[in-house]
Formats: sequence, structure tokens, C-alpha cells
Amino acid sequence: MAAAVAGQMTDTSPVLAMRGICKRFGATRALDDVSLELHRGEVHALVGENGAGKSTLIKVMTGIYPPDEGAVLVDGEPVSLRSAADAQRLGIGAIYQEPLIFPDLSVAENIFIGHQDQGRVVRWRQMSADAAAILARLDVHIDPRIPASGLPVATQQAIEIAKAISLDVRVLIMDEPTAALSAHEVERLFRQVRQLRDSGVAVLFISHRLDEVFEIADRVSVFRDGRHVSTDARDDVTRPRLIAAMVGRQMSDFYARHEHHAGEVILSVRDLGRTGKFAGVSFDLRRGEVLGLAGLVGAGRTDIALALFGIAPAEAGTIELDGRAVEIAAPRQALDHGIAYLSEDRRHVGLSLPQSVTANITLPSLRRYVSRLGLVNGAAERSVAERFRRQLSIRTAGLSQPVGLLSGGNQQKTMLAKWLNTEPAVLILDEPTRGIDVGAKADVHQIIDDLARSGMAIVLISSDLPEVLAVSDRVLVMREGEQTGLFDRTEATQERVMTAAVGVA
Amino acid sequence: MSTAADVARLNGPRGRTGRTAVWIRPERVKELSLVGVVVVALLVFGFLVDDYFSGRFFNRVTTSVAITAVLAVAQTIVIVTRNIDLSVGSIVGVTAYLTGQFASANPSTSPAIAIAIAVALGALLGAINGVIVAYGRVPAIITTLGTLAIYRSWLISHGEGRTITADSLPSWVVDLPTRTLFSIGGLDIRVVFAVVIAIVAVLQIAMQRLRWGRRLYAIGSNPEAAAQAGLPTRRLVLSAFIACGGLSGFAGFLFLSRFGNITVVAGQGLELDSVAAAVVGGVSVLGGSGTLVGAFLGAVLIDVLDQSLVRVPQVTEFWRNAILGALILAAVIADVVIGRRFRRRWSAEARPHTKVDASSGGDADPTRVPALTSAEQSGERGMPDA
Repeated sequence: MAAAVAGQMTDTSPVLAMRGICKRFGATRALDDVSLELHRGEVHALVGENGAGKSTLIKVMTGIYPPDEGAVLVDGEPVSLRSAADAQRLGIGAIYQEPLIFPDLSVAENIFIGHQDQGRVVRWRQMSADAAAILARLDVHIDPRIPASGLPVATQQAIEIAKAISLDVRVLIMDEPTAALSAHEVERLFRQVRQLRDSGVAVLFISHRLDEVFEIADRVSVFRDGRHVSTDARDDVTRPRLIAAMVGRQMSDFYARHEHHAGEVILSVRDLGRTGKFAGVSFDLRRGEVLGLAGLVGAGRTDIALALFGIAPAEAGTIELDGRAVEIAAPRQALDHGIAYLSEDRRHVGLSLPQSVTANITLPSLRRYVSRLGLVNGAAERSVAERFRRQLSIRTAGLSQPVGLLSGGNQQKTMLAKWLNTEPAVLILDEPTRGIDVGAKADVHQIIDDLARSGMAIVLISSDLPEVLAVSDRVLVMREGEQTGLFDRTEATQERVMTAAVGVA
Repeated sequence: MSTAADVARLNGPRGRTGRTAVWIRPERVKELSLVGVVVVALLVFGFLVDDYFSGRFFNRVTTSVAITAVLAVAQTIVIVTRNIDLSVGSIVGVTAYLTGQFASANPSTSPAIAIAIAVALGALLGAINGVIVAYGRVPAIITTLGTLAIYRSWLISHGEGRTITADSLPSWVVDLPTRTLFSIGGLDIRVVFAVVIAIVAVLQIAMQRLRWGRRLYAIGSNPEAAAQAGLPTRRLVLSAFIACGGLSGFAGFLFLSRFGNITVVAGQGLELDSVAAAVVGGVSVLGGSGTLVGAFLGAVLIDVLDQSLVRVPQVTEFWRNAILGALILAAVIADVVIGRRFRRRWSAEARPHTKVDASSGGDADPTRVPALTSAEQSGERGMPDA
């Protein structure tokens, strides 16, 4: 591969070109006359709100959706992409936010299973050795014979990159690959991406995190409402311009934040700990206050939330609610104490996707809508759902629509409604804006602000540092299971929080 | 099998703990423990029943295992792809009956012809299942529940209540079950049993060493990823159903030769035995894992229990079934326990080598957290469906 690089780098014709692509689903135009070119040896970032057409574009590129109009050209030749196998043959590969691995198969098999050029008989030893060699190049040192299940997401992604390398891909699409990674893992992923780029691969990098886009991309394209808005060299764009292009209007800073008036302490935590997860966590939470939990992924923030909600109870320390010591060993107890927790994993544990918006909202508080005969009062349920739909402006075709069909932002709002309906005194939000578009993000921030002003005590876990700083009244910083800082709003600067989160260099 | 040996020799690149990790796949553990359970069962019955260890008992078990094992293996090939074939009992009935009819009408039928007819018929019926499942996208459980009834109904209307009788069949068919290949110390190794062992061995190697076999596992392990990897998933699922049908056809032939007298209800209920044997043998009904050797051992265990419990006077027919049911549940529970232990070991082994990474499982999917109790497991970050 390396020998060919020099020749390829000077070649300016795009390795993959999309020309005038249109794709409709019923009345919606998911892609409207979209053109995009990817060149050898470039990292091309693609940004845009959810629903901008990024996912549809990827599916066209990988042969999952045939386009209604337009042409796909590989090396200047028009090609027909009818299946994933076609795309693979043409050297187009994709890696998704949630790695598509085979949990029961070995790491080596995961890398080589789709190869068409291997013989009919599997040569296990050769395959393991090849897999180990490729993984070593990616700085991943695992035994390729172990099954892929149970490996960290970052390692599973590395397996997918290894698969792409072994297939000699020329175009690699990465759809939000960093969403579930810690800072350290992102660093390693970027090293891997640069390695691919330097060997002549065209990388299409999709991310909601603009910091990453500026760090890794050579060019940036913006999509909006199924249309291609702009493509610029990284050095020619600024963050405000990108955001403006994404939303089509100048965005003021996050949202209009109000002053919060913190009341008396409602939740008091002392020396809380759980073996192997976190230790020595102490803080007070007041009514009407937003406490941000900052830290890298894996710092133990979610584990604190799981302990407070009784899913993985604390093993050390004390929890006081309204001055009374309580023990929380199960979610039911936490709910009885007025604590609610919104999981970071909307799709798997936060919501029941096939069920209706109404059913999801009333699930934890269903006993309130049960008549004396033991039957659920549907009308009462619907009126509650309707109230939240208006209050949180949940966009849905109807309250009986399955939640799985809503956009990420509206799913998040549905989950908020579900837990707000339990009328909690303490609300724990875990990554409430992950993977949702800019508009919905602002809505969620506004809702948090309103709830705090109404006197609710809120714990906000977020990996988005500017968000934590903008929304919180105080910020607690975790690093590797230990509490490394607790800052007031006025003292919490990016530098301070980051220093506490990563440790002093 | 060779893989286990290979990987055991090839010790991993990470010997950093200094401990010599012998590499054992969970399938091997399951298979060895099944052998252990069979041995224990034999010893217990040998203690309870007078004259338990006899040549006759051995023959009875091996003869009946032959049919169950072929069906268990057939079922496993389909289950591995995250599908199921509930029509195998009906396929056995149809192929046994039609092959018997043909052999009665043509007394000069050679063994090769008879077997070819049975296998081809079974493969055809399996292909019908496969086309409906893979191309019609009807869930396998519904499809094969339907064809279970349809194949049987067709047979009943075709047979009009007539019975194929043993004396109408060529003599070689009826004599086949008692043909002995060789004897070891009073135990006869019957031809049929030897052939079945050979079939299991060949197919086990095919599932493990052929690209085809590994891809069936891949489909069952993660269908979406299989499609994304460019695997011809529909064709592969179809091929699994055809293989299952063909093997069921062969089982139909064995059924014919074992019983000689075939009615239109022949083979009814065998689909449940085949699923039971596969599950007891450690095949995951969620697809993606399990071996044919395991399914074979599952069939052996079930038949040993079945044939032995008959001879324990205290155990009534009702309790026989209850014990088999308990066995299936025990197998599933053992599966979960063994699986969890292995995952723990792997995650410990696969734990990334830097300190920052070592804690990266901390914010893992909350659904999995209750299962994690110690720091040792903090590297575990499961797939949602793991």
C-alpha cells in the first residue's frame, strides 16, 4: 500500500464522488441534489443536525439504499451500489457509533469473516497471526482468539478499523465513532485515523463534536435539511460559521440562562463509594440547583448516579435526604424518596422503543392511572402525555406513535416526561444531550433551567464540557473514580475543570 | 477438535501476567461436562438397576441415538443462524413414508437410491422452509410451525391411512439396524451408529473449518453486522435449511429401516426432541454459538436417560418427562453460568494496558452493572445483546 501512496497523493481526482444524489422516503426528501467528493489521503468531516441527511448519505454510499436520482462515481467511473457486498468490492467501508461486531466469534474472525478472496477452508492459525499483526499496527494488543463480546467499545471499533485495513478500503466512513469513547481512547482513534489517511485512504468523519472536527479534519462539509450547504478547508472555517451553516441562522450562546436561587440542602452525600467504581465522593445538593458532574468517560460519574438510584447500590458512605439518613438498595426505593434517573442509554434502557409515547411516559407512575378494578385509565394516561407533549414541545405524529420512530431529541424529551411525571425532588440526568441535534439541545437546556427555577434539584452528567459549565451552578469533577474538584460557577473555568479531570500533567 | 488444540498451543501475545493461560473455548467445557454427566448417569443407573450394563442396552441406546442425533445436528445448523426448524418431525414422516412406498413398489431398490431419495426429498422440503424464511422474511418459528402442519397434512391425505409394512420392504432395509460393523468386548458397533458418528464428525469439521460454517455462526451472532459485512445472508440461511432438511430426510430413512412399519403419523414430536438435544448440548437458541458435537452429546444424554428411566420401576412415565424437562432447564442455566465465567476471564485478559483505559468500563451500560461486582470486572463493557 505504502508504495502506491506517493503516486496517489498527487492524483487530484476524487476516489469517490456523489453527483446530484436524491433520495425520497414517501413525501420527505432525505437527500436533495447532493454532491460530495472524497479525495485520497484526506479526512473529510461531515457535520449537520440530526435529520440533515448524513445517515441517508452513508447508506447510499454503502449500498444499503439505492439513490432515486444521481450517480456515484468511483475513480471517475459510474458504479452501481446495490448491496453492502458491492460497496465492499469497490473498497468502501463504514464504521458506526455502535460497532457492528459478532459477539460470539473471535476477534480474528470478526476481522476476516466477510473476505471474499479467502479459500473455502478457514486457516485458523494464519488468520489469528494476520489479525494480531494488523491490530498491533493499530496499537491494540489483544489475543485475536478471544470472542469479541465483552470487549470495550474502543477495542471493538479498533477491530472494525482492522477489518477495513484488511479489506484495503479506499474510502472509510466513520459515523460518530467517538461518541462512546473516553478522551484517551479518542486520541488513539485519531492516531489510527491519521495512519489510514497517510496511507492514502479517504476518511469521511461524522461527528457532533466540533472540537474533534477541527482537530482531525482536512476539509469540512455541512449538510442541512438533506442538502449540501458548504465544503471548506478546515483553516477557512470558524466554529460560529459552522454552527450558523448547520442551523441556518446565527446561534447565540447556548440559551438564555436564568439566575437560580438555591434553597436548603435536599441531598447530602458523604464518602460514598463502591468497590472498583468510585470512592470518597461527598457533596451537598440544594433545591433549585444544578450540580454538574464532569469528567472523562469512565471516571465513575454514571456509577455515582447508579448508586443514588439504587441500580448498583453504594457500598460505603452515607446518603441523607432532607436531613434523614436513607439506604437506597433498589430503584423502587429511590423513586419513593423522590429521586429519578435518566439513563444515558436511551435506546436500550431508557425507553421501550416499540411502545407508544404515552405508554413510555406513564410507565414508572402507572399505579396512579389504575382504577379500583385494576384497569388502566387510558384517558387519564393520554391527558398526562398530552400535557407533557405541550410543555416540552415533543414533536410527534401522535401520542400513540411508537417512541422508536421519533428523532433522538424527541426521544430524550419523552424520557424526561417519563421521569418528571414521577414528580421527583432530585433529578439525575445522564448525558441528556448526547446524539441529539442543536435545536433539541437548546430545548433540553431550557427545560433544565425551568426545572431548577421551579425548585427541583438537578444532577447533570455530561461529557460536553461547555455544556456542563453553561448549565450548572456548581461542578463536581471526577477522575478515575475519585472526586478531584468541586467548583462554584464563578470559579469553574474550562482549564480548571479539565485539569481536575485529567490530573496535573 | 483441531481449533482448540491449535489455540492452546498458540499462547497469546500477552503473557504479561506470567501465568500460562491455557486456552479453552467454552464449547469444550460444555462438551466435556456433558460427557461427565453421561458417565455419572450411567454409574448411577448401574447402581440402581440390576444387569444394567449389557450389550442389549448398548444396542438399544445407540439405535435410538442414531435418529435423534442426526436430527439434533440438523436442528443445530439452523439454530446457529438464529432460526429454528419445527418441521423436522414432519419431514421425517414424509420421507420415511415416501421412501418406504418407493422401496415397496421397487423391491430391487439399492441402498444408495433409497438414501438419495430420502435426502433429496428432505432437502426439497427444507428448501421450501428456507425460501419462505430467507426470501419471504417470515420468522422461522412461524414458517416451520406452518409447514409442520402442512407437510403432515399432505402426508395424511396422500397416505389415506395406509401403513407401509416391514414385510413389503426389501430385506436389506429391515435388516440394516441389526447389521454390526465390528464388536468390542461384547458391545456391537452397529453400522448405522458408525455412519451417524461419521456424519457428526464430518459436519462438525465443516462448521468449524469451512467458510460456509463460520458464516452461519456470524449470521446468528449478529444478523445486521453480517449483512453489513457483505455476507450473502439469505443464501446462507437457505443453505442451512436445505442442510437441515436433507439431514432430516436421512433421519427419515433411518426411521424407516428401524421401525419398518410406517404410518402417516411417523416421526411426530421428533422436532421437540431435536430442539431439546441441541439445547442440552449447549447450543444457544439465540444463535451464534454451539457445536454439533455438543448437540450429539445432548442427544446421547437424552436417550440414555430415556432408555434407563424405563428400567427404574419407581419412575413413572410422567416423571420421565419431568426429568427431561428439568434437564433442559439445567442445561440452559449451566450455559449462562459458564458463559458468564468465561466472559469475566476474557475481559480481564483483554483489559487494555494503560491505566486510563483500565477504568473505561466504568460508565458501562447500566443494564449490565448489577452483574458486575468487583474491580476485576471493570474492563467488561458488553454488547447490549451479549
